[in-house]
Amino acid sequence: MGWLLLVLSAGLLAPWLPLAFLPAVPDLQHVAEAPSWAASPAHWLGTDTQGRDVLTELVYGARQVVSSSLPAALLATLVGALAGGAAGFWGNKGLRLPWAVWLAGVAVGWWALALPGRWPCSLALAGGAGLAWWRRRSRTAKPTGWPLPLDAMFQSALTLLSAVPRLVLVLVFAAGPALGTPQLVVLLVLVAWPEAASQVRTQMLRVRELPFVEAARAAGLPTWRVWYRHALPHACRPLLATAPLSLAGLIGLESTLAFLGVGRPPDVPSWGNLLGTLQQEPGAWWLLASAGGALVLTLLALQQLAQQFGQRA
Amino acid sequence: MKYFWFGWLLATSISSCSLPADKQANSTVRIRWNRDPESLSPLTLPNQNAVDAATLLHCSLLQVDLSTGTYAPALADSLPRMQLLGDSLTHLRYQLRHAAAWDNGRPVLATDVAFTLKLIFCPGLPNEKARTQLGFIRDIKLDPTNPRHFTLVCRGQAPEFGFESGEFPILAEDALDSKHSLRQFSLASVATANTAEPTLAALAARYQQADLEDHSGRLPGCGPYKLAAWKKNQYLTFERKTHWWADSLRPAPLVLQAKPTKLHFSIIKDDATATLALRRHELDVLPQASARDFKRLQALAATQQRFAFYTTTSYEVVTAGFNTRRPLLRDSLTRQALSRLFDPARLLQATQLGQGQRTVGLVHPNDHRYYASNLPLLAYDLPQAQVLLQRAGWQHRPTGWTRPAAKGQSEHLALALRYRAEDPVFQTIALQFKAAATQLNIPVELRPTESSLLTTALREGDFDMYVRIQKGNPFAFNYASMLHSRNVQEGNFSKFGTPATDRLIEAVATAETPAQKRQLLQRFQVMLQQQAPLVPLFFLPYRLVTDRRLQNVYPSAIKPGYSAPTMTWTDAAPVLAQQ
Repeated sequence: MGWLLLVLSAGLLAPWLPLAFLPAVPDLQHVAEAPSWAASPAHWLGTDTQGRDVLTELVYGARQVVSSSLPAALLATLVGALAGGAAGFWGNKGLRLPWAVWLAGVAVGWWALALPGRWPCSLALAGGAGLAWWRRRSRTAKPTGWPLPLDAMFQSALTLLSAVPRLVLVLVFAAGPALGTPQLVVLLVLVAWPEAASQVRTQMLRVRELPFVEAARAAGLPTWRVWYRHALPHACRPLLATAPLSLAGLIGLESTLAFLGVGRPPDVPSWGNLLGTLQQEPGAWWLLASAGGALVLTLLALQQLAQQFGQRA
Repeated sequence: MKYFWFGWLLATSISSCSLPADKQANSTVRIRWNRDPESLSPLTLPNQNAVDAATLLHCSLLQVDLSTGTYAPALADSLPRMQLLGDSLTHLRYQLRHAAAWDNGRPVLATDVAFTLKLIFCPGLPNEKARTQLGFIRDIKLDPTNPRHFTLVCRGQAPEFGFESGEFPILAEDALDSKHSLRQFSLASVATANTAEPTLAALAARYQQADLEDHSGRLPGCGPYKLAAWKKNQYLTFERKTHWWADSLRPAPLVLQAKPTKLHFSIIKDDATATLALRRHELDVLPQASARDFKRLQALAATQQRFAFYTTTSYEVVTAGFNTRRPLLRDSLTRQALSRLFDPARLLQATQLGQGQRTVGLVHPNDHRYYASNLPLLAYDLPQAQVLLQRAGWQHRPTGWTRPAAKGQSEHLALALRYRAEDPVFQTIALQFKAAATQLNIPVELRPTESSLLTTALREGDFDMYVRIQKGNPFAFNYASMLHSRNVQEGNFSKFGTPATDRLIEAVATAETPAQKRQLLQRFQVMLQQQAPLVPLFFLPYRLVTDRRLQNVYPSAIKPGYSAPTMTWTDAAPVLAQQ
């Protein structure tokens, strides 16, 4: 926990720390040098093959963890919880969408895909959606519509994403121009959300049959409120234990990308990037010890944290 | 008993008929290439590896003899005889070797040379580079009494024409133009024809349909090797022809020797992987080893015993270039200012461990005749860069550097720097430049790009700045391909060129006397510093590591830095390496 707090604070406070060197700035007079205290200013943890100060890169690498992997893990957990929770709660027939929504969806799809007769057809469909909405408001009868096969859609997405190994999927998306931090976060979320979603769906299948959920329904609460306020918090409990592991996985994935030099600009400090320079200088033990050590310690600490949370949950 | 004797006889005959496995394996030489040749079309040779491959498949009139560092006759039986005509023309008389023949036994004749030249000047073909290099040849005159004799008519009287005129692969006329339809055209008429001319258009279409870039076998050459296998970005294997015309030459000149039965080029982009492959006996030759790997291998006792280490100078210069078509970089003052952000002295130390040479321009510092040693070396100078930017009209604001542009708008100084990915030298240079630019509040986006995509991006002008290697040689000073305005689509990636600089470049290429050339090259080097479309940072050294048992390597400053076809294996005790 102490190590994680250190990483977190280093990542958050990196620009204000009294570091002797700036990130991604090569010191061309000290390239691939072992830790030294003789020079002034000293490279406490040595330099990499581009002359970058290892300590500075480590600290700013922690910033990369805080700015990319951590938000991605939180977002993936959130997205997974909502998607898995909805799929598990409503299944394939529980959520009926009114005709107006279906028609509006088809109108948007028609327009977005630029299908033949883009404007007239989209407008006609939108008009139909408006009419259906007006009729629905004006009628007092039971609302009609088609059920949205949420669970089937969820399972399909899950099958699609799990059919391709996670690293391959990320490499396919990251192989083009370098990604900015927001794009990287989105990419990491894309590959990480199914894990949380599967767990929450499985839990939700159990929770939705529990007496307190039945009681909430019988009390006449709106379905979404039952889902959001009563069922979902219970279904999300296992995430407390798995979220740190998900974060560990994403840190590993981000470091792998940086190690391979894919997806991120070369001047973005990262532990993986630092480890990657080891290829050019295999004898640089200080690179392995510092970047590898930071990575291993962080992953172990997250695993420990997951165990503690698991025991509490 | 009779079975014993029969078995003994059989074993003896088998062992006497087959070569020992060691000997068989020894006839192959495995060499590392750091990138794919991309194309094996003799007209389109996009990189040095493609040029080296073409040298194995085809023969030129003259080729560089790496043992002497001079041009030697290959298909020609001697160096051309020069005759100056008036004050503007040169005649170069060539005689082809009697033995020279294509694989089908047909002799290589002057008509093949004429056809190749016409192909180089034919509109509608990807021949811009070759066309630029041979632009001084105006005509070819065949000798009706001797099918192997011809005369090249050249505009200008530069002494370099003697060897420049002979360095292009000769192609078989029958393979591409079996009806000899091009014979009705003179070289001059082909050069001035337009793409709509039916015969030339048909020829261009045939050439394009042959897809020689990927299928070199469709155009058999008269070189010693044929392509046996090519897996893009992985390897190329060349097999020695069983019967090659130059085998009958006694004594065989060095440029017409081809000893290994197989040359296997492994494409390994990463230096560390290549070094590992060498140490694991998966490579025999490691050219252009990185400074650190070279030093590390030299320091280890185990590798000292196994490998020979060679270091020579080279004519490869690490160069930064500006896209002069971009409004931000259209003026020379801005380019001069940005060039002051590079620190060549420290970059040379950091990336080459001090080997290599700083330079004022594209002429090698060792060439004392023409190198402008009176010019200052480029130096890292942030205050001077700031002054130059202000002189160029840039104003420093908290948001960066801006200056008024057309239509009342303002332009913001921000740059995208491209370089070949996976090359630590370029990455160090890019990081150093970006760090310096950041100090001046100039945003720089680094875009490491895969090598083939980089060529495309540079050709299409999709960059502000680049870092790459410019290759040169000690023989010719023809900078048209990299700086002349007519080559903006091909080698002149900076898109630079004014009528005055074009004239100067042409004059340098065709200077007739050493004194005139010295004067013009001095002006050229001054122009390059003032206009700064390119910023030569430093010349690289060549570092070559080979298996100690390989002989006749001929390490050289001339590209590619070694002679693959002459290499032979010896089982004798290792000789001391030449350092």
